[in-house]
Amino acid sequence: MASDNAKLLPFYLVIDVSVSMTGAKLEQANEIMPAVVDALADAPILSDKVRFGLIDFGTDATVRLPLCDLLDENVTLPSLTVRGATSYAAAFRLLRSEIESNVKQLKADGFQVHRPAVFFISDGDPTDRGTEWQDAFRDLTENFPIYPNFVPCGVDDANPKTLASLIHPASGPKAMQMYLMENGQNPAHAIAAIAEILISSMLASGQSLTQGSSGLVLPQKQDLPSGIAAHSSDDFV
Amino acid sequence: MDTTTGARADEVRPPLPEPERTVPWRGRVEPFVVGDPGRAASRTVPIPDEDAWDRRDTVLDGVALLDGARGRVGEVRAASVRGLAHRAYGTVRQDEYGFRRTPDGRHLVLAVADGVSSGRYSHRAAALLARRGTEVLANELASTRPADLRWAELVRRFAGAVEARGRRLLAARGMPTADSATVREIADHLASTVLYAVVDLAPVDGAHEVHVLSVGDSSAWVLRAGGRWEPQHPVKNDGAVLHSSSVHALPLLSSTEPVPVRTTVAPGEVLVLMTDGIGDPLADGTGDVGRFLSGVWATPPASGLEFAAHVGFARRSFDDDRTAVGFWPVATA
Repeated sequence: MASDNAKLLPFYLVIDVSVSMTGAKLEQANEIMPAVVDALADAPILSDKVRFGLIDFGTDATVRLPLCDLLDENVTLPSLTVRGATSYAAAFRLLRSEIESNVKQLKADGFQVHRPAVFFISDGDPTDRGTEWQDAFRDLTENFPIYPNFVPCGVDDANPKTLASLIHPASGPKAMQMYLMENGQNPAHAIAAIAEILISSMLASGQSLTQGSSGLVLPQKQDLPSGIAAHSSDDFV
Repeated sequence: MDTTTGARADEVRPPLPEPERTVPWRGRVEPFVVGDPGRAASRTVPIPDEDAWDRRDTVLDGVALLDGARGRVGEVRAASVRGLAHRAYGTVRQDEYGFRRTPDGRHLVLAVADGVSSGRYSHRAAALLARRGTEVLANELASTRPADLRWAELVRRFAGAVEARGRRLLAARGMPTADSATVREIADHLASTVLYAVVDLAPVDGAHEVHVLSVGDSSAWVLRAGGRWEPQHPVKNDGAVLHSSSVHALPLLSSTEPVPVRTTVAPGEVLVLMTDGIGDPLADGTGDVGRFLSGVWATPPASGLEFAAHVGFARRSFDDDRTAVGFWPVATA
């Protein structure tokens, strides 16, 4: 038996690379991971526990960075490029299978694993047919014992109502939130602000572990960067 | 040099250099590492808790217990070390230990306490339970045999003491409802698990009887011959080891009566009480940490400082406060 109960915090960034992300938005998206690496490099307590994975999606979804220790010297950060449409369903399905196999592997390796956290960034509506994306999301959340804490983030033409339906858990003491670009803001700046929120919640979650709680800690509304607003699931019905 | 002899200047010899009058020094402080130490062990910048300047980062002891003509009956080592996470975030050490011998010299009372992380004043609860708790137990033992200790009553009394301390503390901090708050509300501010052991210092056939009582997730172990870690938990009828999943912490009382565990420890073995900061990486004792600790604790470490260095070993992601108290019986001649 493994004599090790090290506790890990898995984080996944799932990012839309459909053609509408071309230009400044994609450039900014490519700045997220280096910023996360910098933040972890300054937070050794946290970096010993955080595992980070990156999935991008267009018409299909791809694991661009398998769940890993970002400060490991063998890690090379991927460069995002645009491709195709906006299949939320493909992203959700891949995310589910990744979480399932990652958590299984980590547990087999003797780790204790906290509930994974997902930041999902999109700039548009899903192009999936019918209720395909809703079904895939249910399989990722309600029908999945190791469902992640899911934080949808929208910029530009993202549909607030659609994204609001992705907040999970949507209610209760551990309810998540959604982050939306405020009207008239620069979408590339909004992506930078979302990266800031991701990093600060990662740091806060690490600190809350030492205070005996677990789970994803999102920033207070007054601490949000400008140009971004936080919403709960009942803000858009 | 005599300057009155009129010696020529070029005959003046320079003074001999002073002989080196230094003595060599040696020694070093090097942390113990088990496997991957992680980054936090070497890169954490420890910062103080600005609300508790007098709360020490690390405390430690190393003492021998004497018994008149018989000489040493046992060795005690103890250390409580602030975790890397608390150092990084500027929070006090919430663990504590206590130990004391009864006035008649017959028994040794040991304790470790682990303040509940979320409570701002949990270190006060831990200190109360570890220090005052061992004192109360030592007094009880003046008139009561260890097997006859009324643990349920004692635990209730300790819980009451934590609650009363909490009310006074919160009132002093200006909390208007300190008197009327429920115990649960008090526990949000200060709560602690605690583990006590009573060792009979008069061995029977060489073995010392030990009574252990645990409230919460701290654990008592006996390191048996061959480096085997034997946990001392209450055992259910079916023989399954009972692990408390939810942490019970005083002043809150569990719905079930506390169950003491009885064991023995003999020369060549070690009784160790530890908080989960060290119990978690030890796990079931069969892994790397178990091998490390059974190796360095096979005999009493040379000093409390050395014991504290063992307790503070580096291992990736284990950044909680760590506290351990060990008792090594010494064979009588």
